[in-house]
Amino acid sequence: MDGYLKIRGIEQKSSHGTSVLVGGLFYFQIIIFCDILEDIMEKTILIGGKAGQGTAVTSHLIAKIFCHLGYYVFNYRDYPSLITGGHNFNVISISDKPISSHKDKFDIILALDQKTIDLHKKNLNKGGIIFDGKGLKPIFGNNVLIGKLFKYFGVDKSPIFKAFEEEFKEKAEMAKTAIEEGYNSIEIKEKLVKNGKEKYLLSGNEGLSLGAIAAGMDIYIAYPMTPATSILSFLAKRQLEQNILVLQLENEIAVVDAAIGASFVGAKTMVGTSGGGFALMTESLSLAGMVELPLVIFLGQRTAPSTGVATYTGQGDLKFALNPGQGEFPRVVVAPGDAKEAIIRTQESFYLSSKYLAPIIILGDKHLSESSYSFDNIAKSSISNSRFILDKIPLNYKSYQITKTGVSPRLVPGQGPVVRANSYEHTDFGNTTENAEWIIKMNDKRQRKQESIAKETKKLNPVSIYGKGRNLIIGWGSTKGAIIDALPKLKNFRFLQISYLMPFPKEEVLKEIKKSLPAGRQAKKIILVENNSTGLLGDVIAEQTGFIIKNKILRYDARPFTAEYLINEIHGK
Amino acid sequence: MENKDLNTKEENTWCPGCPDFSILESTKRALVELVNENKIEIKNTAIVTGIGCHAKIFDYLELNSFSGLHGRVLPIALGMKIGNPKLTVIGFGGDGDTYSEGMEHFIHNCRYNSDMTMIVNNNQVFALTVGQPTPTSEKGPLKPLNPIALALTAGASFVARGSALDIEHLKNLIKEAILHKGFSFIDILQPCIVFHNTVPYFQKNIYKLDPIRDLTNSKEAMERAEEWDYCFDRDQKIPIGIFYKKERPVFEEQLPHNTWYTQKRKTDWQDLTKDFH
Repeated sequence: MDGYLKIRGIEQKSSHGTSVLVGGLFYFQIIIFCDILEDIMEKTILIGGKAGQGTAVTSHLIAKIFCHLGYYVFNYRDYPSLITGGHNFNVISISDKPISSHKDKFDIILALDQKTIDLHKKNLNKGGIIFDGKGLKPIFGNNVLIGKLFKYFGVDKSPIFKAFEEEFKEKAEMAKTAIEEGYNSIEIKEKLVKNGKEKYLLSGNEGLSLGAIAAGMDIYIAYPMTPATSILSFLAKRQLEQNILVLQLENEIAVVDAAIGASFVGAKTMVGTSGGGFALMTESLSLAGMVELPLVIFLGQRTAPSTGVATYTGQGDLKFALNPGQGEFPRVVVAPGDAKEAIIRTQESFYLSSKYLAPIIILGDKHLSESSYSFDNIAKSSISNSRFILDKIPLNYKSYQITKTGVSPRLVPGQGPVVRANSYEHTDFGNTTENAEWIIKMNDKRQRKQESIAKETKKLNPVSIYGKGRNLIIGWGSTKGAIIDALPKLKNFRFLQISYLMPFPKEEVLKEIKKSLPAGRQAKKIILVENNSTGLLGDVIAEQTGFIIKNKILRYDARPFTAEYLINEIHGK
Repeated sequence: MENKDLNTKEENTWCPGCPDFSILESTKRALVELVNENKIEIKNTAIVTGIGCHAKIFDYLELNSFSGLHGRVLPIALGMKIGNPKLTVIGFGGDGDTYSEGMEHFIHNCRYNSDMTMIVNNNQVFALTVGQPTPTSEKGPLKPLNPIALALTAGASFVARGSALDIEHLKNLIKEAILHKGFSFIDILQPCIVFHNTVPYFQKNIYKLDPIRDLTNSKEAMERAEEWDYCFDRDQKIPIGIFYKKERPVFEEQLPHNTWYTQKRKTDWQDLTKDFH
């Protein structure tokens, strides 16, 4: 590692060198050198303890300090559904190159209790080290371990103090004594140098929240449910600063209906929940489809049916997200792959929902929601923030005017003309009808909107392709991180990420599948990767394209994929 | 403004002689009078209906209107109110609608005290599905629910009972309910002349509460509420009018701020994302 860091130092210097040509050549050589040795700085730290001991906060601080030092970080959070006791742990993987998943084996264990050592020692890498914090005072002890950890890595105290000051403001002083104590208790083992510019650290839920604010959201309504709850608290904290309203109502039914009511009068609204809450909302998903009003729903999946495994991840709700609600109506389902995509896809959701007056489901999971990702920068989309509400009042306004695109020009109550929303089948004025002609007209109008949406999502990168190779991995949502990290170690594989699942990007998916169909004597593989037990995306692809994927890597033990897990599985295929 | 300005061209499909016609008439008169008294603006008035016979009023009023779902009138109305607090929001529900399917919303909205009005056409029967019992039905072994007593317990700040047999009295109640700042609830006795004809009983037993008395006395309100148990097995006096009326802070005013609905915000992306750096 030291050698590599030295080379990296020269590499950085070379850009300031006297000869651009020489610098360029040198850079080229380094790349080859690194490739051969695979000498990349990568460390994985596990921190574990009882719930209430501050595992999550401590891991966040460690991740933040590494980001300040310019390293890329991925922070995975694993905790049972209880308030105190039990066993919580975080796995932080750190690298000097982009990293988007955590590892199965650890270089360092920070143990806040004996259980952490008992459970995780077996996964300690050769030469790995355990920093034992048991017996130390609660929280104080966590900070002692942080001091030890960064001394071990030869990191100055100043970036540690800076992170604490940012996080705890004036209360940081108290922590400094503990950090000093840890810092002075061991010797420097390695010497980490700064790895370029500071990185951003962002969880999926923070990405969704930032996206909603960037989209000009007025109101967020929810009922607490893991893994969506932290959106509620994140946005609630910023209510005044961002001039938004954040509400918790009596249940998910009230949540979604209030969101639709607010939408009727012109507010941009979003709700967030998990599978159980979404089940209650489906009645009004159909309502939003029928009355044709914007609605953005975040559905954060967890594991298994019913209560399932409440604080763990899964991708078992794909077909549920695609199909709920009585009747046929246009809708969109989009699945962000990481925290940065969460920003962009949330903005797109508000845009599509406002423009096409249809419900949109942002389909995520606990792994996306609660893991922290690092980035060089976090940008928002430049997509329009328009409410798509007419400024000029038309004569003879009809709430459900029949148009070519299926989208009726929108007014809201208060602008003057009578505005109607009708859950019963209706005429263009919005009055109730059972007339056969109107029933057909209105159905066709709604279906035309689905076609209009499909034209639009085609332009919004409905699929992404990573890497090169004749073999193809297909996945969606949060599995992206582990797949991307596995790709460089797999021969001849590329990855197709499907982001828009409804309207389904049929042509784009089929094009990639065809490229990887065996031709002549050349064997090619197409492998489906999903965090569920039956391969739901595989079914959707079969329904949409007629192509049946036989090779599947499915994980349904409530844990997310890691790159090692995937590599092992793929080598076995 | 005149009553006819609120008329639509839709064909009325209530049964001939249905007291729902009277409720429609009382509503029109109340709204027109409030507009003419400059108390409300019609363009800033919106109604929400549930599902059932009552909900047909959606088609018979030329007003901003949302025909919602069975039981979901109140959350939709609450959403409209927080989406634009300047609107006058009136919900119409049935007894099955409000007290069966939507009970959780009814209790919580009494608590929330958002500034809106909830009118329940209580005919003590599921009429549109041809005659099944609702929570206020007196028939069978189950004790009927007393919505007046419930609303008082749950914290509604305006609780009244109207009769569809007295258009003018009902009109005044609707006016007072709309003007009351807070959650106003009116349970309207509305005999279903096909499945549950209680007209003779109501004609014999209804009496009007004195409107000029201490309306903030919750103990007296509860005593009045319990005078009639929604049963018809013996003659009991049935009070109509305002049981309770007392202002308390409304939902919209207790939120952490009161400018979100202005939709004005300047988001500085750099500033917003600096915490993540």
